[in-house]
Formats: sequence, C-alpha cells, structure tokens
Amino acid sequence: MDDIEGKITKNDEVAPGYYLLRIKLSRPMDPFVPGQFVMVRIPGKDVFLRRPFSIYDYRQPVLTLMYKVVGKGTEILSKSRKNEKVFVLCPLGKGFNLRRRKHYVVLGGGIGIAGVHALIRRLGARSSVFFGCAAKEELALIKDLGDLPVAASTLDGSYGFRGTVVELLSERLATFRKEEMEVLACGPVVMLKALRRILEKDRIPCQVLLEERMACGLGLCFGCVTKTVDEAEPYKRVCKEGPVFDLWEVCL
Amino acid sequence: MGSLSVKLFGKTLRNPVMNASGTLGYGREIEPLWGIETLGAYVTKGLSLNPHHGNPTPRVWEEGRGLINSIGLQNVGVDRFFDEHFPLFQQKRTPIIVNFFGFTEEEYIACAERIRPDRLIVALEMNLSCPNVKRGGISFGKDPDLVHGIVKAVKGVTEIPVIAKLTPEVKNLKEIAQAAYEAGVDGFTLLNTIPAMVVDVEKRTIPIRGGLSGPVLKPVALKAVCEISTSFPVPVIGAGGIMNQNDALSFLMAGAKALQVGTATFIDPYAIPKIVKGLGEYLKRCRCSSINAIVGTACG
Repeated sequence: MDDIEGKITKNDEVAPGYYLLRIKLSRPMDPFVPGQFVMVRIPGKDVFLRRPFSIYDYRQPVLTLMYKVVGKGTEILSKSRKNEKVFVLCPLGKGFNLRRRKHYVVLGGGIGIAGVHALIRRLGARSSVFFGCAAKEELALIKDLGDLPVAASTLDGSYGFRGTVVELLSERLATFRKEEMEVLACGPVVMLKALRRILEKDRIPCQVLLEERMACGLGLCFGCVTKTVDEAEPYKRVCKEGPVFDLWEVCL
Repeated sequence: MGSLSVKLFGKTLRNPVMNASGTLGYGREIEPLWGIETLGAYVTKGLSLNPHHGNPTPRVWEEGRGLINSIGLQNVGVDRFFDEHFPLFQQKRTPIIVNFFGFTEEEYIACAERIRPDRLIVALEMNLSCPNVKRGGISFGKDPDLVHGIVKAVKGVTEIPVIAKLTPEVKNLKEIAQAAYEAGVDGFTLLNTIPAMVVDVEKRTIPIRGGLSGPVLKPVALKAVCEISTSFPVPVIGAGGIMNQNDALSFLMAGAKALQVGTATFIDPYAIPKIVKGLGEYLKRCRCSSINAIVGTACG
C-alpha cells in the first residue's frame, strides 16, 4: 500500500456520463486482488477528500479506472485533462476470494461493472459473465472485455434481454450446477437485494462488492460502514473489512 | 538541531504532534504507511465502558472546506482496547492518551476506573460532547455545573491526569473551562467538532447531522486556544483544522503545548509525519533550541 503520484494520460467519456481514466503511476503499485480499490485525490481545490474507485485494470505503470459522474468529485474529475497530476492511495481493502469454487458467475450492474472488470479478466473462461444496464449506449462499458462472452440485459430492451440483469440470471440459473457455482457481484443495492432473493432458496455462495461514502479509505475513521449479521459488532468498515463481503453476512 | 520533545503531565513526548481521537482508527490501521511511534502520543478512538455500535450511514459528508461526521462513537469498549490494541503501543513504546465517554455520569466513572495507570498512559481525555441521557440529552460539555460534577467525579476515581475536551457549542467557553478547572482538571483539548448539518435541496431532507471538522474550524479553535491558555495555568492541546506545518505553528504560537491532527490525515495519510518533519525544519530555520520556546509567543 502506498500513496503514488501519477499523471492522467487519458480521461474519455465512453458512454453518456461514464468515463475511462488512465493514470500513469510514477512507481509500481503493489500486486492487487480484483475487487480492491484506490483513493484518488481529485485535481484542483474544489473538493477536499479523496474519492474511492475500484481498480478496473492495472498494467504497470498504467492504472485504469472507470467511473460514472454522480456528484461534485466525479464531475470535477471528468473535466480533468491529460497530464494533470493526481495522487493515488493504492491498493486498498479486501478483494474477492477466488479459491473456493470451480465455476464463477459474475454480475455487473451499470457502473458496477467497474468493480468486476479486473475480476472477469483474471477468471477468463472460468466464469459466466452477466451485465445489465439501462440502454444499449451503456454497452460501451463492456467493450474492453473483447471476445469474452457476456450475457447482457437492458432495461428498455434496446439490446439483449429486456429487464434487469438479475431477471436474466434467474432465467439461466437452472442451467448451472449449483453445487459448483459461486456468484460474484457488483451493482446498485436494489440489484443486490434482488440477487439475494433468487439465490436464497439454495443459499448459493455469493460475494458482493459494496460502495459507500468514504473519508479515509484506510479504516481510520469508521465512516464507511455496512451493517452485518454480526450482533456483537454489526457495523463493518467497507474500506477495511470490505469492500467485498459475503452476501449472506450483510444486511442490505 | 532544536528539540521537538515536550513534557506533558510529567511525561516526555518525542514531539508535540498527536492524532485527534477517532481519526487514526485503533492505531494499527496506519502502520502499513508509517509507524505509530512517529506520534508524540496516540490518542485512542473514543472508548466507553461497553462496546458501542455507532450510527447507520451516511456517517461522513464533505461540505465546503470541512467534513461532517456522524460515526456515533463506534468502539470495541475499553477492556477490548487494552486487550487487543494496547500491546502495539507497548511494543513500540508509544505513549497514549485515552479518550473516553459515557452517556451517564456513572458510565464515565466506571470507564475511568477500568483504566489502570501505566507508564505509557499520559492522560485520560474526556469527551464532554456526549449527550447526557438522564438530563434530556443535553451534552455534558454545555453546562458548567454538569462539567464540574463529571470532572470532579472522574478525578475522584483515577490517579491518571485528566484532560477535558471541550465542545465549541457553548455560550461562554471560559465559564465551562473555569468549571472544569475548579473541579481539578489537568488540561484542555480545544476544540471538539462543531455540531452541523446538511440540506439536500433535491430531496428536501437532511442527509446528515454531525460534527464539523477540518480547515473551517481552525480560526475558531485558535481563538479558543489563545483565550483558555492565557486564563488557566494548565496545558492546552490544540485541535481544529491543522493541515500542515504552518497551521501547527499557529496553534503552538497561540498557546497550545501540543497538537492534534485529524481531518488532514484523511486527505493525506502522511500529514502527521510531514508536520513532525516540518516542525523540526522550522526549529532549525529559526535557530530555536526547543519547540517549547515558541509556545504562546503570539498570544501572551
């Protein structure tokens, strides 16, 4: 873990409101586990705290992040130009645990795909990938996955399955051998709740990558917690004990 | 080369820089980046007699040049702190200040009683911004009589020096400090966060109410440090928006004997070691023999 200075080499809008940011780091980042994240100091003086982003890709010395403009921090970041300097605290948190199952089913909902992109690349043929978004314009978010087969859904039906990605998975679930599968997912809370409903009956193993407002990203401030089933200590830090949690241990 | 060491309640600290309570976890979380022994003293996360779960999210909110937090005093409880986390400070011979709180006078007393004197414990720091559940939730720190009562009660059960961390949300800070002083307090930490809130204009809701920290607090805290340090013959620890070496110097010159850095660490996790280094360089530049020589020089 380190705070590394970097230079923006690319910051392009890949779909309306979604950006791909490449940062050339001045020093190599420690090896990372998919699901881990970084804290970026936003250029300029208008925001103050760093912002958390999942590691989308890293090929020394270039770190790639994908983000959606959702507030002031990402708005300013989206206007940052090539050659601007940023500081990146990385890699942070606990990523996906990839030793347990043979067949992984990976789900990305909207910008949640940024949290599982590196995971999908690492798993390659060991996984079945599902991606859900609002409309076909957002399919650009999975362009980098190239030849890997992806089952896609759009809410408006403009591409692939019409409906949510969880509805799509639900249709295919019967074709998977449940005793060998594990689901790995990142997306909005409504998606994770729906996912829980369809996996509940067989209690299929599932890890989810959660998002939360953060201040430090290091476990110092206890600002980014999520509630879990641990009665003695219900609130766990998303940045430290997460951001990846066992779906059956969190109260969404 | 001048010396950064300061003496606080008879104990020597290697430098005057501490973290503010609750901004450096239990200490071990920062170790991947820098050693906890860099600190003059580590201030614990606020501890209570029993573990405390804290508040639901959102717990943090950036607002202008400040940060609003509503962590809700989540902590593992005083006993678990000493079992699980104190050994790190023993191993690294790092002095600590134990920040603690309660929701009743009995809880403050019982918590203070659990903490046995130790050569590494510099002081107990009382968080007086807590709501008193027996008095309709008014914070202890707002009422001079409550402050006097609770400080006196805690002083009665411990041999460890007691620091009162005061809330700025009072009519007359000096009156509160006077009440604590008359009850035997050994020092002050100034200031705690300011109660604040945010309005979401789209949703017409209040997404967070909590304590405001960060650079917005600095001028308010400086004034408090100057006023209290010149009025009472006990040490003052300055806190409130210290982001860099210059901020640290202003607090020392305003009369603080030591400093606490909080919000700055969230923006730059190396803020504390940088400030320590910066103070050392300042001593060299001003050819001062000791950091103590500049304390109160701007506010006599």
